Amino acid sequence: MEAVIEIQNVTKQIKGRKIIDQISFDVNRGEVFGFLGPNGAGKTTTIRMIVGLIGITEGDIKIAGHSIRTDFEKAVSHVGAIVENPEMYKFMSGYDNLLHFARMSANVSKEKIDEVVELVGLTDRIKDKVKTYSLGMRQRLGLAQCLLHDPDVLILDEPTNGLDPAGIREIRDHIRMLARERNMAVIVSSHLLSEMEMMCDRIGIIQQGMLVDVQLVHDFINGAEKVYQFELIEKEKAKELLKHSHPQLSVEITSEGVAVAMTREEIPAIVKIFVSEDISLYGIEEVTKSLEERFLEITKEKEGVAHV
Amino acid sequence: MYKLVQNELLKIFKRSGTYVMIGLLILIVTVVGAFVKYQESGGTVPDNSEWKQGLQLENTNLEKQVAELEGQVPDSQITYYKRQIAINEYRIEHGLSPNSAYSVWEFVSDNVSIIELAGMFTIIIAAGIVASEFNWGTIKLLLIRPVSRSRILVAKYLTVLIFALIVVALCFSYSTVLGFILFGGPENASPYLNYHQGTVTEQSMFMHLLSSYGLNSVNMLMLATMAFMISAVFRSSSLAIGISLFLMFTGAQLTSLVAMKYDWAKYILFANTDLTQYFEGSPLVEGMTLPFSIIVLVVYFILFQLLAHLVFKKRDVAA
Repeated sequence: MEAVIEIQNVTKQIKGRKIIDQISFDVNRGEVFGFLGPNGAGKTTTIRMIVGLIGITEGDIKIAGHSIRTDFEKAVSHVGAIVENPEMYKFMSGYDNLLHFARMSANVSKEKIDEVVELVGLTDRIKDKVKTYSLGMRQRLGLAQCLLHDPDVLILDEPTNGLDPAGIREIRDHIRMLARERNMAVIVSSHLLSEMEMMCDRIGIIQQGMLVDVQLVHDFINGAEKVYQFELIEKEKAKELLKHSHPQLSVEITSEGVAVAMTREEIPAIVKIFVSEDISLYGIEEVTKSLEERFLEITKEKEGVAHV
Repeated sequence: MYKLVQNELLKIFKRSGTYVMIGLLILIVTVVGAFVKYQESGGTVPDNSEWKQGLQLENTNLEKQVAELEGQVPDSQITYYKRQIAINEYRIEHGLSPNSAYSVWEFVSDNVSIIELAGMFTIIIAAGIVASEFNWGTIKLLLIRPVSRSRILVAKYLTVLIFALIVVALCFSYSTVLGFILFGGPENASPYLNYHQGTVTEQSMFMHLLSSYGLNSVNMLMLATMAFMISAVFRSSSLAIGISLFLMFTGAQLTSLVAMKYDWAKYILFANTDLTQYFEGSPLVEGMTLPFSIIVLVVYFILFQLLAHLVFKKRDVAA
């Protein structure tokens, strides 16, 4: 694994207020990194610092080894980005827009433009003015604009904002494909958790300007211990029984039965208890927590710590 | 840099507003031409062989007025009379009849004031060229290219200059072509008589027109530079257009008001933008010279550019 983006102790201060506080993380090639946080947490600010739109108060950001502060042109030549909405020149055609941005990078040929247009599926409409485009098409044109110069790093701020489910899926597929096939490092920010779950390999959670956690999506969703649901009717009785036999476990009543947080090895013992007490057991299943639940859990935890 | 300028021109000429501006310029020159042509066909050129006596008569009248009015009316009016007298004398001496027909050159010369309008359009372009990128939100995509911010700003300024050159050249060449069609070429190339500090000199008409268009453009260029600076510093094209146009229409008058009381008026930008004062007529404030004005203009120019660059380079592009 090779880190293409290194974010080192970055702090951003505006008028004495710390907007971003000592953030550090790396993103590797071929990886989709999700940047998750509630509105106003500092996702967009961090992304703007990575692409050099706003200055860094302390710390440094390196892209492919070049510092964005001291070696801006080299660093940014490896980056393709959409920051918030992909605003284009509406009075020009999609093609003119791409031509415009292509001229600003070294060695982007006309063939390359055509290839990128083909890739995002805009070939039919590329000669039309951007003001006639739908939001989805603008988003795709935005993606095309990022890919013109074959960047190593792709940064997409809220890429699915305002898209319909088909559009979201399309963008998601593109992103996964670019990371897998072109070995790009992709940073995606969003507050839509379900989507991050499907798109990302790793997730960093930012809250109040601080990076509170970085985890692999897989670990993140599952956490350390699992929750199993026992499908049964006499829920109260089951809960009482477990309280006596396994006081260390947390038991919750759900609509189907009871949910118990525990390890797999403990299942047979619990089943034995239910059977001996004549409770009819209809099924046992593992409950995977959604990213959303985990996210709220983590942010709540940290907030609790912060408030104490 | 060439590609960046190409980009900026693309953005200007893909907008319909630009063509409206150019259309207006052409329309106004055409209307002026039609108007002059219509007037001309009403009366004929007085082809008086006794023109020398006529001029002499005019001169004695003027001299009388100068003697009477000196000290009572502003100096500029006296200067105007003196200039007229000197030119008339020169004509009598060298046998240059003032009674030549209205020709293409007179028409082009009359159209010099169209530069004000061309200047206005240049200001509008200069005011929008940076601020619009912020309004459209495209600044974010523009500044994440491997091109430094200063180079982008320089390219944008060069584009303003090119646009100014295009509109002035267009006015000049269109007036010339239209003048030829409507009024025909001059029968005998009559020179332009220039009066400067008591002496009259002959100039080729074409050179006179070129320098007259060029000198008149100085004002417009300085205002466009100022609009460009405001645009880059405040990110507001309406503010830039507002301030620049206001100063364009009132700057000269306000400065001459100040100049009546205070000597430091000569350091005001607008006291120096009209360089024709050194070639024809007299300077606004006593003691001003051409090199002085050029230095003042250069200082203002550097100040505007520095401000624009410093602020644009340091700016955090948020929202």
